[in-house]
Amino acid sequence: MSPNPGFLKLDLAIRGIVVDDSLRGRNDLFHAPTVRGPVARSVELVLPGEVLVSAPVDEAFTTDSPYSLLQEADRFYLQAGDERAEVQIVGAPGYYAKKTRSGLPMWRIGSSYGPYLAINPASRCAFSAKGSQCQFCDASTQGVDRDEPIPVEDVVDTVRAAFAEGAIDFVYLHIGYVDSEDSGVRFLEPYVRAIKRHFDTLVAVQLQPPRDNRWIDYIYAIGVDALSYSIQIHDEEILKSLCVGRVEQVGRQRYYDALAHAAQIFPNGTVWSDLIVGLEPTESTIAGVDSLVDMGVLPVLSVFRPLGDTDLRDHPMPDTAEVAPVFAHMFERVREAGININWVRDLSFAVTPFEARYFSDPDAAVSGALGPLYRSRLGNLAVRNLSRLRRRLRVRQVNDSFGSSNL
Amino acid sequence: MAQPSSFVVDTRPIWILLLQSVRQPLLLATGAAIYFAVRSVGPPVDLDPAGHRALAVFALCVFYWVFDVLPLMITSILAIILLPLTGVLPAKEAYALFGSEAVFFILGAFILAAAMMKSGLSARLALMILSRFGHEPISLLRGIFVLNATMSFFMSEHAVAAMTFPILVELIAALHLPASRDSYGRALFLAMAWGSTIGGVATLLGGARAPLALGILREVTGDSYSFTEWAALNVPLTLSLSVAAWIVLRTFFPIGVLDVSKAEQAVEERLMKIGRMTLQERLVAGVMIATIACWIVLGESFGLANIALAAVVVLFAIGAVQWRDVEGYVNWGLILMYGGAISLGSALHKSGAATWLADQTIASWASGPVTVILLITASAVLLTEMMSNSAAVAILMPLSIAVAGQFDIDPRLMAPLVAVPAGLSFILPIGTPANAMAYSSGYLKVSHLIIPGLILHLTALVIFNLLVWFYWPLLGVAS
Repeated sequence: MSPNPGFLKLDLAIRGIVVDDSLRGRNDLFHAPTVRGPVARSVELVLPGEVLVSAPVDEAFTTDSPYSLLQEADRFYLQAGDERAEVQIVGAPGYYAKKTRSGLPMWRIGSSYGPYLAINPASRCAFSAKGSQCQFCDASTQGVDRDEPIPVEDVVDTVRAAFAEGAIDFVYLHIGYVDSEDSGVRFLEPYVRAIKRHFDTLVAVQLQPPRDNRWIDYIYAIGVDALSYSIQIHDEEILKSLCVGRVEQVGRQRYYDALAHAAQIFPNGTVWSDLIVGLEPTESTIAGVDSLVDMGVLPVLSVFRPLGDTDLRDHPMPDTAEVAPVFAHMFERVREAGININWVRDLSFAVTPFEARYFSDPDAAVSGALGPLYRSRLGNLAVRNLSRLRRRLRVRQVNDSFGSSNL
Repeated sequence: MAQPSSFVVDTRPIWILLLQSVRQPLLLATGAAIYFAVRSVGPPVDLDPAGHRALAVFALCVFYWVFDVLPLMITSILAIILLPLTGVLPAKEAYALFGSEAVFFILGAFILAAAMMKSGLSARLALMILSRFGHEPISLLRGIFVLNATMSFFMSEHAVAAMTFPILVELIAALHLPASRDSYGRALFLAMAWGSTIGGVATLLGGARAPLALGILREVTGDSYSFTEWAALNVPLTLSLSVAAWIVLRTFFPIGVLDVSKAEQAVEERLMKIGRMTLQERLVAGVMIATIACWIVLGESFGLANIALAAVVVLFAIGAVQWRDVEGYVNWGLILMYGGAISLGSALHKSGAATWLADQTIASWASGPVTVILLITASAVLLTEMMSNSAAVAILMPLSIAVAGQFDIDPRLMAPLVAVPAGLSFILPIGTPANAMAYSSGYLKVSHLIIPGLILHLTALVIFNLLVWFYWPLLGVAS
C-alpha cells in the first residue's frame, strides 16, 4: 500500500474497495450515486494527510481490488495484503434521512462529498433527451433525470439541514445541458440567489458554456463564486465519438473560449474544468491540462470508471502507474502558472492540483501548507468575505454608470 | 429579472478597484477637513465672521463639485443646510432663494421640452430635417449638425442629443459603418455632439447654465437679460462657431462613404411609421411657437419664468400633455442643484466672502478689465472640461460679479462671460452629456478629439473674445 496519500487516492479511485462482509448492511456508510454520471456507489474515506477519496464499491470493476475495508471496534482500516492503514469514513450525514417541506427525501436532493453539498436541481440533461449524452454518463439510468425540477424551497431546506449538522461548508450546483442561449444560467439563478440570501456560503456551479459570454459575467454578478465548464476529453476525435452532444450542441472550442473568458472574470483558481483520465492517451490529457492552465483555468482530473449501466462498461480501466505522471504534470504546470490551488480542493471524486502535489517532488507538498488555514473556520470566513468584497468591487450595474455620468 | 446586459464586470486590477472604492469616503473626509481647516484658521482681518463661514461652506462645495464626491444636487442641498446652520443666512432666507425665478424658468423649459419629446414633435422635426438634407454623405453630415444646432435653440442641448442619438445609431447601423475605424461614423456622432453644444449657447433654452447664471446675477445685483437680448448676444457666436466646427470636422474626419441611400431609406421608413402630424403634436407646436413669441415680445414685462410656466399651464389645460408624460423627462436633480447654487452665490455676496475671494484670486492676478475677462473666460472653459458645466457656473459666477465691482466692469457682462464659455466643451466626455453620448457610441476615443477639439476650443475662445470686445458693446453690454 502506497504511503503517499495522493497515489493511494488515485489507486483507490481506480480500483475501488472490496467491502468486508461485516459492513455489508451498513447503508449509513455508503453513498448512492446521485451526483453525476461517472460516480459509482461509493464510500467516502479520509486518508492520511486529510485527503478525501470517494472509493467505488460493489461495481464490477472493484471485485478484483486489492483493497478491503474493515472495522475493528470503532475504527476503520484499509487493508492491502499485509499492510494496513487507519482511515476515517465520512458516513452518510443525518439529513439524508430527513424530508423537505414538500415531502421530498433530502438524500434525493443533495449529496455531501467532503465539504461540498452537491445538488442537481434540474429535471434532465438535454443531451440525454436528444440521445446524445456522453457514453460514460449514467445519469439517465441512475434516476437523476426527473419529470420536474426541484423547487427552490426544497433546495433551501436541504442546504439548511446540511449546514445545521455541520456536514458541509460549500454548495455545489450542477446541471446537465440546457438547450438555451444561457445554457441554464437563468434556471439556476433563483437557486443561487436563494442560497446566497439564506446562507453565508460559497456557491460553485457546473454547467455547460452559454452561447454568449455576457452570461458568464451575469452568473458571477448574481453571486456564483466558482464556475466549471467541464470539457472531460481533450482529444477532438475521441470527444466527438464519446460525447456527441458536447461537440454538436455546444462545440469543443466553445468550452475553451468560455473557460478563458470565465478565468478573466472569476478569482484566480475558481474556474475549473474536469478532464477524465483513462479515456484518451495520457499525452492528450497532458495537452488538455496545458491548454487549461495556459488560460488560467484549474484542471481537475477524475478517473474513468466503467460503470455497469453505460456504453463504456467494457472499456479498459486506466493503470495507476501509467496515469500518475499526468497528475504530477498537472501540479507542476499549475504551480508554474501561479493559479491558486486552495479554492477548488477536497473533491473526493476527483483529484485537484491541491492533492496532485503529492505526485510531484517531496518539496512540492509544501505548496499545500496553506490548506489547513483555508479549511479553518477563520480561513473560511475570510474567503467568503474576500469573495463578497471582490464581487462588490468588480460588478457594476449599467444604470450606476449612467447615474455617475450626470446625464 | 435582471438582464445580462445590465451588469458589467470590471476586470481592472483589484488594487485599482480598491482605491476607487475608498475614493468617495476619502474625498468626503477631505472635503470636511477643508471646511474645518478654513474655519479653524479664523477670519482674515478684512472679512467678517459670517463671510468667513460662507467661505468655508463654499470651499467644501467647490471641492465636492469638482471631484464629483456627491451628486451635484446633493452638494447643493448640503450648501442650503450649512448656510443657516453656520449662521451665514437665516434658514428662511436660504430656503427662499431656492424659489428663484431662474429655477422656475428651468422647470418650465424642462416641461416644454418634455412635451415636445413625448408628443413626438421633436423626433418628427429631426426626421423631416434629415429627410430633406440626407441624400448625400456630406449633406447627411451637414443635416445632423444643423439639426442639432437649431433644435438646441429651443430645447436643452442634452435633450436634443438624447433625442437624435438613437436615430443616428439607427442610420449608422443601416450604413454598416465599422465602429473601430470609420471616420464618417465618428464625424456623424461629433456633428451631433458639437452641433448640440454650439447651438445650446445661442438662447436661454439651450441649456440650464444661462438661467443659472442669470439667477445668480439677479439675486446679487437685481439685473438680468431678456430672451431677445441673450439671443442677440450669442447667435453670432453660434453661427461663426458652426462654420469653424464644420471646417474642423471636414478636415480631420474625411468622408469615406459614397452612398447613404440606406440611411435615407431608414429615415423614410421612420417617417412612414409615424404617419401624419397628430393633434397633440400640432397643439404642442402651437404652444411652443406662441411661447417663444411671448419670450421675445413680452419677456421683459411678464418675466421669462412666468411665460414658461403659463405655457405649461396652457399645455395641460388643452390636454396636450399629461403629468405622467412629463415627470420622467424633468431633471429634478438639476433644479435642486440650481436652487442650492443660487443660495450659495447669494450668501457669498451678502457676507462679503465673494469680494474677499475675488480680491485674493482674479483681482490680484488681473491688471485691468482685459485680463479680468480673459481670466474668467479661460477659467470657465477649463473648468467645464473637468466638471459639470453647471458646477463651473456655480463656482465662477459669485466670484466674477465681485471682481466686476472692483474693476468697474458692468456686472451684467459676467453672466454671458461665464455661462457661454462654460457651455463650450468639445473634447472630454465629462464636458457635456452630448459628448458623453457621442463617446458611448464606441466610434470615438479621446485621442481622436485632442487635436481637433483643441483647435475648436482655441477658435471658440478667439471668436468669443472678439465678440465680447467688438460686438457686445454695440448691444450695450460692455466692460
